[in-house]
Amino acid sequence: MNGASPGPLALRLGVFALIVVFFQIGVVSEVPVFGVNAELCALLVAFAGLLCGSTVGAACGFAVGLFIDLALLQTLGLTSLIFTLVGYWCGRLRELRDPQGALTPLLVGVSASAVALAGYSLMEFMLGVDAPVSFLLLREIVLGVVVNTIVALPMWALTRRVLEGALPEDPRRRRRRRAYTTGGLSPLSKASAR
Amino acid sequence: MLALLIVLSLLLLTAYFREAPGGRLHGIQRDFLTVVTPIQDGANKALKPVRDMFSWFSNTLHAKSQLAQALKQAEKLRRQLVAQQEEQRSYRELLALTHLDRLGVGDYRPVTATVIDKDPNIWYSTVTIDKGESSGVQRDDPVINAEGLVGKVTQVAPDGALVELLTGSSMGVGARIGTSQATGLVQPKVGDPNDLLLGYLPANTQANAGEYVVTSGTVTPAYPSLYPPGLLIGQVTSVDEESADKSVNVTPVANLHDLDIVQVLTAAPGSRAANLNQLAISLPPGRQAGGAGGEQLASTQVGE
Repeated sequence: MNGASPGPLALRLGVFALIVVFFQIGVVSEVPVFGVNAELCALLVAFAGLLCGSTVGAACGFAVGLFIDLALLQTLGLTSLIFTLVGYWCGRLRELRDPQGALTPLLVGVSASAVALAGYSLMEFMLGVDAPVSFLLLREIVLGVVVNTIVALPMWALTRRVLEGALPEDPRRRRRRRAYTTGGLSPLSKASAR
Repeated sequence: MLALLIVLSLLLLTAYFREAPGGRLHGIQRDFLTVVTPIQDGANKALKPVRDMFSWFSNTLHAKSQLAQALKQAEKLRRQLVAQQEEQRSYRELLALTHLDRLGVGDYRPVTATVIDKDPNIWYSTVTIDKGESSGVQRDDPVINAEGLVGKVTQVAPDGALVELLTGSSMGVGARIGTSQATGLVQPKVGDPNDLLLGYLPANTQANAGEYVVTSGTVTPAYPSLYPPGLLIGQVTSVDEESADKSVNVTPVANLHDLDIVQVLTAAPGSRAANLNQLAISLPPGRQAGGAGGEQLASTQVGE
């Protein structure tokens, strides 16, 4: 959260997350593609982390997960735990590596979906749900990741558009931009070099 | 920050998992549902055109194959209808003679409800409906739609309820194959959440693919069933001859992925169905008649 006040970002992210959760519950969960449903909430949390950093990513993941657990009468804390980790990891990726590739959102979305779906399955096994590791379960996870891959880029574009203007300034990115425009020197040192 | 959130999640998870269904966290969840239900209901109605548009595409793709299948089935059913009309007449006469009294759908008061959200993950087979305690809905009430049995109510809030679908891991329904008198227990097929297994059938049971599976209702007064007899559950797809207990694979007739309007069979106060429901609620969780255990007792008793 460097260089930007957290108010507008929290507001935008909160409203956007609420809309995405209701859209997920009301529309996406009722429209199966290849027999599975896209998981927009996992993508939202991942992209919030990727755009805003690990703290915001983790907090967003926790809030979205808790809301889903409460609204769907699921085991409280399960989705929030998984989404917190997803949001944090995506945020750390930005803070440590700051990947700039065009396919980065796609790869992050795919990874986040895979971690969320596999983590969910793992937690359910640990909580004693009576279902064996079967081909069908693996197929559901793989198809879930494939469907999320399809919607990852539009979701990334939408998330970035919504949060644009309220995003925190990243010191690494600022340094990189300056290096690009001035050749690594400040305008003053450049003038004195001449 | 991360550690705090993770610890908080784990604390919630542990506390929720350990507490009874009437506990504090479950209560908060129910209160939250009461607050969110009107919003979800509104969002559900507002987003219906979008949902319908997506559904229209997928439904159109399936329509052609379904039409051919439906025509074939209609022809088969027409032949069966003629034969069964005669059988029905004989059955009624026999029923009157033996004074066979069973709990029927007539003993229930259906409450029509709208599905306001579905669980979007692969682990829970549940839907939330917009009717709850204020409409007379109680835990363990059977839920049906126009096609057949859908599931049962597992949690109730004042204006909403959670319905576990037939494919839910804790479901178990006493059932029989339409043409035979042998009863068994319909449970979700382990490892395949979209399929059902009718197990615990007597070894000499004859079953053919395409036959219908219906609820058996109460077959012995000692082990009453929560589900009235004759509710359509599914269609036999194949018979497993090799297992120790004879079992058949069943596909649910109700499209559990596309539920919109359902009916909760609530029990009228003082009726036999209400008494049965009270009995089920008063039982400890492991022995409830709505759960797999209770229904299993009823079916195995007959199977013997």
